Amino acid sequence: MGSILVVAEIQKGKIREASYELVSFARKIGAATHRDVKSLVMGQGAQAHAEEMAKKGGGEVYLADAAELANYSLDAAFAAVKAAVAAASADIVLLSNTPTGWDLAPRIGAALDAAFVPDCFNAEVEGGELVFFRRFFNGKLDSRLRPTALPIVATMQPGATAAFEGSADGKVTPLAVSIGACGTQFVELKVAEAKGVDLTKADIIVSGGRSLGGPEKFQEVIKPLADALGGAMGASRPVVDAGWLPHEYQVGSSGQVVAPKLYVACGISGAIQHLVGMKTSNFIIAINKDADAPIFEVANLGVVGDLFEVVPKLTAAVKTAKG
Amino acid sequence: MKIMVCIKQVPHQDARLDVNGAGNWIAEDNIKFEINLYDQHALEAALALKDKDASTEVVVVSVGPERVTQSLRTALGMGADRAVHVKDAAAEGSDALGTAKILAAIGKAESPDMIFAGFMADDGNFAAVGPMLATLLGVPHTTTAVSFAKENGTVRVERELEGGALEVVELKTPCLVTTQTGMNQVRYASLKGIMAAKKKPIDVKSVADLGLAGQVGEAAAKVKVEKLYTPAKGQGAEMLSGSVDEVVGKLVAKIKELGLL
Repeated sequence: MGSILVVAEIQKGKIREASYELVSFARKIGAATHRDVKSLVMGQGAQAHAEEMAKKGGGEVYLADAAELANYSLDAAFAAVKAAVAAASADIVLLSNTPTGWDLAPRIGAALDAAFVPDCFNAEVEGGELVFFRRFFNGKLDSRLRPTALPIVATMQPGATAAFEGSADGKVTPLAVSIGACGTQFVELKVAEAKGVDLTKADIIVSGGRSLGGPEKFQEVIKPLADALGGAMGASRPVVDAGWLPHEYQVGSSGQVVAPKLYVACGISGAIQHLVGMKTSNFIIAINKDADAPIFEVANLGVVGDLFEVVPKLTAAVKTAKG
Repeated sequence: MKIMVCIKQVPHQDARLDVNGAGNWIAEDNIKFEINLYDQHALEAALALKDKDASTEVVVVSVGPERVTQSLRTALGMGADRAVHVKDAAAEGSDALGTAKILAAIGKAESPDMIFAGFMADDGNFAAVGPMLATLLGVPHTTTAVSFAKENGTVRVERELEGGALEVVELKTPCLVTTQTGMNQVRYASLKGIMAAKKKPIDVKSVADLGLAGQVGEAAAKVKVEKLYTPAKGQGAEMLSGSVDEVVGKLVAKIKELGLL
């Protein structure tokens, strides 16, 4: 039997929480299929990170330490994972569905001619066989997937399970990696610029989606409610992609992650990347014409209706209530 | 320069999705299809290069049934030069790697200088075929491009990370770049373009034509979709009913209760 290889990530100077979540999944699968859990830490001068991984995540931790791994480099990371797969005799490889994971994992999947199951929110072992659960159609439908061959390369959604913590059996093993010429060169990292609109500080956010139909509708429908409530205006990704509002208004994993006291989602269906950015809000009101919209899963109060009817009346009622 | 653009036809963003009788895919009858949004940005990135250098040839490639012809015609109408359509029941049910193998066979025959693909498709959301295609062709790739510049044999891409951060990478051509939505403003097909598209060739290929008989399609897929289902609702929202005025009254009462009014 092969082993399970967890590909850990270093982010902002420490092992990413999602990497320990992978260990949780790997240990669950490993216990049910009699596989050892091993992991890979890659970076430059990453000995301390590997030790942290060994202490917290346990198992054999391969350390790929090279100058080429100082920043994420597709070719260098690919070489490190291939070397670790070979050293670990891994037939299941787990990565996180992060910018590194979605760039690197399919390349590993193709190179290993593997069963590839990305962006899963759960993995289970049933009768000795693995099944994975993931979303299709931007969260409108869920699926149950069965790999029919080994090896398996899977990526898991960050936050899909609790992080594993506390093991006494960890040890760090240096891993020799031969990194050739890199076809994809890291140039620089540009951190998000300071926002003119800081939605993270707003107590109330009223957001609109693509179904508003145009930029003027944000001024006519969304902004008046935000103003009446003394809150800020936000938007979903398609709105910003279409150029209706600047990026600083975007709520979601690629925009601002917010948790206001009240979030009002108007005409937002609830793509995963939006939900990630607002689902921890204290209270969520969703107004949408589609009763099956995923936004209603995370909302506290839902209204199935035409936002162009409901929102202006709500704005007027809020103004009246405030006197 | 030759550019290959991989496009997929997917259900329209506003299509109502119902699970089919077998419970493993959606019922495709009576829904509208369109070019996957991410792929529209991929095509636009290629056409923008052609705008700068008219000698550029843009080849759109898609795998799928007869209905895909319409999307290929749209792409040709927008300005692509020709299309390759892998239309074969033997290709149906391929997993991401199977589709990548089909596209790689075409990539090998076409030998493009540059390949664009959408970051993911709006149906399966796998985000896998592009990087897998690059791997099979042995060329570098990068993902989630929000900007793209090409100078001689070097491509410079800003790729989107989390929380608005960007990573700048450089790739040597030939290479593959997957495009994020919002990367560019996608053009519409002009009437003139649509008329011209009628004369542009769509080369139809079978799996056997590509030398892949038995290697792709449902039987060869290493990942099976066993079941597609409506997500568990969790506790979900309390749904308000009544007239618009009644609903608005309840919302205001709740906002007051939260101490926000």
